[in-house]
Amino acid sequence: MSHAFYLDVDRCTGCFACAVACMDQNDLEVETESIAWRQVFPITLGEGPDARLRYISLACMHCEDAPCLMACPTGAIARETGTRVVKVRSEFCIGCHSCSIACPFGVPRFGKDGTMQKCDLCSVRLENGLDPACVRVCPTKALRQGDPNDLGLEVGRKAAERFAGP
Amino acid sequence: MIKGKIPGEATGIEVRRSVCTICDPSGICGLDCYVKDGRIIKVEGTLENPNNGGTLCSKGAAQRQWVYHEDRLRTPLKRVGPRGSGEMKPISWTEALDAVAGNLQRLKAESGPESVVFYCGYPKQPRPFLQRLALEFGSPNYCTESSACFTAMAMSWRLDYGQMAGPDIANTKCLLVWSGNPFYASTPNARRLMDARDRGVKFIVIDPRKSPIAGIADLHLRLRPGTDGALALAMANVIISEGLYDRQFVSEWSRGFDGYRALAAEYGLERTEQITGVPAALIREAALLYATSKPAAMMPSSTPVVHHTNGVQNQRAAAALVGLTGNFDIPGGNVPQSFSWLEVSGAGFTTREHEFAMPRAWDDMPPRLGAERFPVWTRMIDQGQAMDLPRQIATGEPYPLRGMVGFGMNHRLWPDSNGLMAAVDKLDFVCVVDLFLTDTAKHADIVLPACSSVERSELRCYPQKYAILTRPVIEPLGEARSDTDIIIGLVQKLGLDDPLLNPAGSGAGGPGRGFLPNGAPDFGEVFDDALDWILQPSDVTITELKKHPAGMPVPKPLPVAFKKYEKKGFPTPSGKMEFASSLLEEQAGCSGFDPLPVYNEPRLSPVSTPDIAGEYPLVLNTGPRLPMFIHSRTFRLPWTRSLRRDAAADLDPATARNLGVAQGDRIEVSTSTGSIQVLANLTELAHPGTVHMFHDYPEADVNSLLQGDYLDPISGFPGYKAALCAVKKVAPAASPTEEVRQ
Repeated sequence: MSHAFYLDVDRCTGCFACAVACMDQNDLEVETESIAWRQVFPITLGEGPDARLRYISLACMHCEDAPCLMACPTGAIARETGTRVVKVRSEFCIGCHSCSIACPFGVPRFGKDGTMQKCDLCSVRLENGLDPACVRVCPTKALRQGDPNDLGLEVGRKAAERFAGP
Repeated sequence: MIKGKIPGEATGIEVRRSVCTICDPSGICGLDCYVKDGRIIKVEGTLENPNNGGTLCSKGAAQRQWVYHEDRLRTPLKRVGPRGSGEMKPISWTEALDAVAGNLQRLKAESGPESVVFYCGYPKQPRPFLQRLALEFGSPNYCTESSACFTAMAMSWRLDYGQMAGPDIANTKCLLVWSGNPFYASTPNARRLMDARDRGVKFIVIDPRKSPIAGIADLHLRLRPGTDGALALAMANVIISEGLYDRQFVSEWSRGFDGYRALAAEYGLERTEQITGVPAALIREAALLYATSKPAAMMPSSTPVVHHTNGVQNQRAAAALVGLTGNFDIPGGNVPQSFSWLEVSGAGFTTREHEFAMPRAWDDMPPRLGAERFPVWTRMIDQGQAMDLPRQIATGEPYPLRGMVGFGMNHRLWPDSNGLMAAVDKLDFVCVVDLFLTDTAKHADIVLPACSSVERSELRCYPQKYAILTRPVIEPLGEARSDTDIIIGLVQKLGLDDPLLNPAGSGAGGPGRGFLPNGAPDFGEVFDDALDWILQPSDVTITELKKHPAGMPVPKPLPVAFKKYEKKGFPTPSGKMEFASSLLEEQAGCSGFDPLPVYNEPRLSPVSTPDIAGEYPLVLNTGPRLPMFIHSRTFRLPWTRSLRRDAAADLDPATARNLGVAQGDRIEVSTSTGSIQVLANLTELAHPGTVHMFHDYPEADVNSLLQGDYLDPISGFPGYKAALCAVKKVAPAASPTEEVRQ
């Protein structure tokens, strides 16, 4: 089974709980460096009275055909068998930043030791039947995790309910 | 497994249950602490807790940095430098408690017990205990942070209905959210609100800002700050003149409707559009949607409507729409429920909290803080009004104040916060209890180190008919003690006659049952026995609660009933809902209050003070919530601070353009009282012409810009949500990194 994040954009309120839960789970030192693995972006659409504000929570997408993995010259980035999570092994990372250039989502972060770090989808938690920290903490249940096809079915059902009317 | 922090025997990680009280609304979150070798290595929301259901907010998720922060106080401190300097030296608990008790006894002997003020900020857990201590000591001057939060809202509902009535979100068809941003201020409710929207509940949101709750609204009424009363009366006028009000309820169960109808008729749509800035057609549409959705509920909030100089009357006008439309005490409307414990209603049981906290009657003691200045507050609320503190210290009228004991006291919750501390510095003796040497604590003579919630025991309950008694999940840091243990220790040291908190009655301060590992006397049994006494009217017992560390459903919860007034009447002087308040009518002679929920402009506004607005043309709106901060509490945590590193004011892009201000520029925000420098954050969230600024930044305290007497005369609440200010650019944005993140 493969795992993916899903974000119900209509439910994200930009509360940052996911970002901090990730820091707590992964002991991230954010004091001086902006190395949070999960980011929350407030996005403004339009301007003036018609402007709309949306909030998007983003972390590694664990792409199937992962550009970072392809770009990495040392094989430090690899896909885990089983969970299919894209992981980085810092001991092989040479800090060349190729992954940063390749990643369409701006995910790679570089801490004090200069090696790349990023979300590993809390794969150890997944293996033990626990949701990733960011999913568990989400106050609106906007963030979810699961098999992409199952998540799609869930979203489809909600859309169907909307079509059916109240 | 260790890296993933998976609990179990293999890793030696144990999940222990507690609660988070970093923020302390009426419903706090259940907290799972992952503990290894006596240390918390991760936290999570408790799944079984029906309030937060496994979730947390960004502040609660940062628990570890709060609990283990290097600045945590580990011993009592004694001031050695000037007040406010923060020059302190560590002392023993014996020396500290001797100093506190000795000074309190001295002040009592010299100036009477009423010369000592007892104050409680966050957390709320020790409140009934501190009130009991204050009154047993003989001082009527028990007051809390609720002098600027929540209480004025509850007072307004009580003036109208004799009781507060919360929204029945689960069963409503339309939710009128009257200001506030529950997604940041009440995150445990966030998923319930989203679920309601998904069920097709219509959302009407009244808010100057495009806050996230406004973002999910069917109708968003973006009013000028402070004009809520006019808007509510205009909606009433639409509902009445179109015949959509509940005639039967109004004729049988209300008082003063004719006057109210006449008052509302003054607020026609065009005039109200001019006052509020909300388009006339939108006001009408909202009034019709609220009045024709059956049932409809109104969600009030703790501060935005009452943080105005006409706050109580504005909130009364909004609350009156509930009765007018027949939505009071019906399923899916606003339902009053009996009070349980620590400001939570509807948990399905009653307690003896009031008897516990009020061992003496007010009449037996000298007048409380604010008694003369805020007579309505004094009549309705069993606390002093703390906003009167600087005045009474300065004038000594009606009697001198000389000492203060403050638990979790944060002076930046007062307007003219610097003025308050100048007054506090005149006190003979000040003791502050806190986790940190806060800017307030720096003014104390003795500072006592308090435990965080995970290091102590406490009782909490929830409207989902659920209760929890926590036990410490880790040892206290250093010599820190729980707030209630400190109070019990003081009761015993002072030799107060208290069969519950001083059962031995010796007054020698001797511990009853040995010591905790950090050397503190073990008052666990005294605490549990006191709670059992408080819980006596219910079927909830300490013995049973102890068996359920994550909490448990309340046994045999009181049934939820509707239209209770049909049997018992309303708990108002007239027994009816009061469009015209009998209580305000009685006060009218001396205080000039109108019994009807009249609208008055904010005391400072472009309309009421055009001359001042010439120099200070922008509306100043302080205290709107940011998701990662709660009052002064989480600025020092790297995780939360990293989300918004710099103190910044929110301005809408068009207003900023007119001022020549760009994103990240350093600006000066000034009033006739003072000025602060912050970064400009340009956002469409902001109301045009308004400066929104989160309060409590130590380096840029926006509440210091308000005048100390900028208060609502009925509640004494500060007019934080609408004053006047000017903004000018001081320096361009320093670098892209100085850009405000959120």
